Amino acid sequence: MGVSCSKHSIRVDPMTTYATLEDIENCMDNGWTDGLPVIPPYGSLVDAMLEAMGWQGSDSVGEIPDQNIVVRAEKAAATAVMAGCKTEYGPLLRALTEGLLDPKLNLSGVEVTTGGAAVLVIVSGPVVEQLGFEHETNALGANCRANATVGRFAQMMRYFCGRGGGVLQSHGTIGHPGRLSFCIAEHPKTEWGAYHTQYGLPETASAISLMSTEGPNSVNNHYGDTGTHILDTIGDALCHAGQTAWYYRSGGFVVVIPPDHMALVAKDFSREQALEYIYKNARRQTDELAELGRIAKNPIEFAEVAPGELRSPLKSREQLTFIECGSSGGRFSAIIPRWVGSTHAVCKEIKSV
Amino acid sequence: MTKATTNGPAYNPPAKQLTSCGDVSCELLVDPIPRPTPEAITVSLRPKVAKVTFVDHHKPNSRIIMEYTQSVLRKRGIEVEGEIFIKADASTRMPAAMLQSLSQERGLILCGISD
Repeated sequence: MGVSCSKHSIRVDPMTTYATLEDIENCMDNGWTDGLPVIPPYGSLVDAMLEAMGWQGSDSVGEIPDQNIVVRAEKAAATAVMAGCKTEYGPLLRALTEGLLDPKLNLSGVEVTTGGAAVLVIVSGPVVEQLGFEHETNALGANCRANATVGRFAQMMRYFCGRGGGVLQSHGTIGHPGRLSFCIAEHPKTEWGAYHTQYGLPETASAISLMSTEGPNSVNNHYGDTGTHILDTIGDALCHAGQTAWYYRSGGFVVVIPPDHMALVAKDFSREQALEYIYKNARRQTDELAELGRIAKNPIEFAEVAPGELRSPLKSREQLTFIECGSSGGRFSAIIPRWVGSTHAVCKEIKSV
Repeated sequence: MTKATTNGPAYNPPAKQLTSCGDVSCELLVDPIPRPTPEAITVSLRPKVAKVTFVDHHKPNSRIIMEYTQSVLRKRGIEVEGEIFIKADASTRMPAAMLQSLSQERGLILCGISD
């Protein structure tokens, strides 16, 4: 799908323009920002967004109990306006808001961790084309309004809701660019079925899937000519010594496979077979990891450390999922390591409001 | 609420609520950040009975100071709870059961003295 930008000639009252710019600056000065300029959350815009999301402003849409925080719909709608979302994204944003505030995602933990994680939003199903998400060119960082603003909304919610109303501080050691926006859309037609089917939703559904992640690692293989070559390369990337996963193994990975690699892999493997292949073969010697300092000297029981054995960066198969997106013409895949502190992904169906 | 003019910024809004003049009709900007809702508390400025209960939170010399204070108060004829309650760590919350118990005291609670 191509996304084009067209130039419009807009006649603007200079008085209005200056005042609006001033409002943008006031939002920045008061901390109502992710660091980038925002659309000022004017009441009339927030009201329209609330209607699109199917909520009243005072509706409680989630809680962060440890911080005595109740998130009202008005806050989510204001954030959506500020991120630049269109009102037509309303039903998606509603599901996304519910997912972000699902306790399983541990939103506050994602925000304050030294791990510098972001919330990855995966959009799948018919909604991808309906709302114009980019799922081909630069799929992991698309210059497309739907991807950019929906991904930004998720990060702003993380930033606004995860710090106890400003009481807590973020402690990310290095973070990554996805903390500004990180939204991936899957191809509407896939070799292995829609992404959300890995979480039990029907193929025909539209869905958002959320998880906290580190930044993506590119996996380049231009000269392999079998599915095994590609999966072995991906598996090797999962096993580099610096992977956060090695000790606790409570996160997992998303494997991103674009068309050129998928053409090779799908010839030889079903999704289940690819999962099993990687789980079985992507391993590293436990003693070597311990020697490097990647495993605690006195490991806790949860870590299930077995000296002398090969160790998988996955504790269980369910921690590995596959998404099909990206453009053809380049033999790249990618892996996205999940943050170890939120052990669950959240997948929600998008329903009409 | 003031209107912006071409002469420069005309207002300096408070942190938690912004007013806007982005359009002819000024609008309120909606605060996107949820704030903690403190649990309802009541504060009694005057104890119902003249009795003092101490809680030692394990800061340096806390217990010595409390014991000395107990003796001074007793000499002045003020009733003092004999037991000094102990909170295990100054940096952590008081256990809920302990908080619940102390909240029933009708006198003055003194917690966390150190030098």
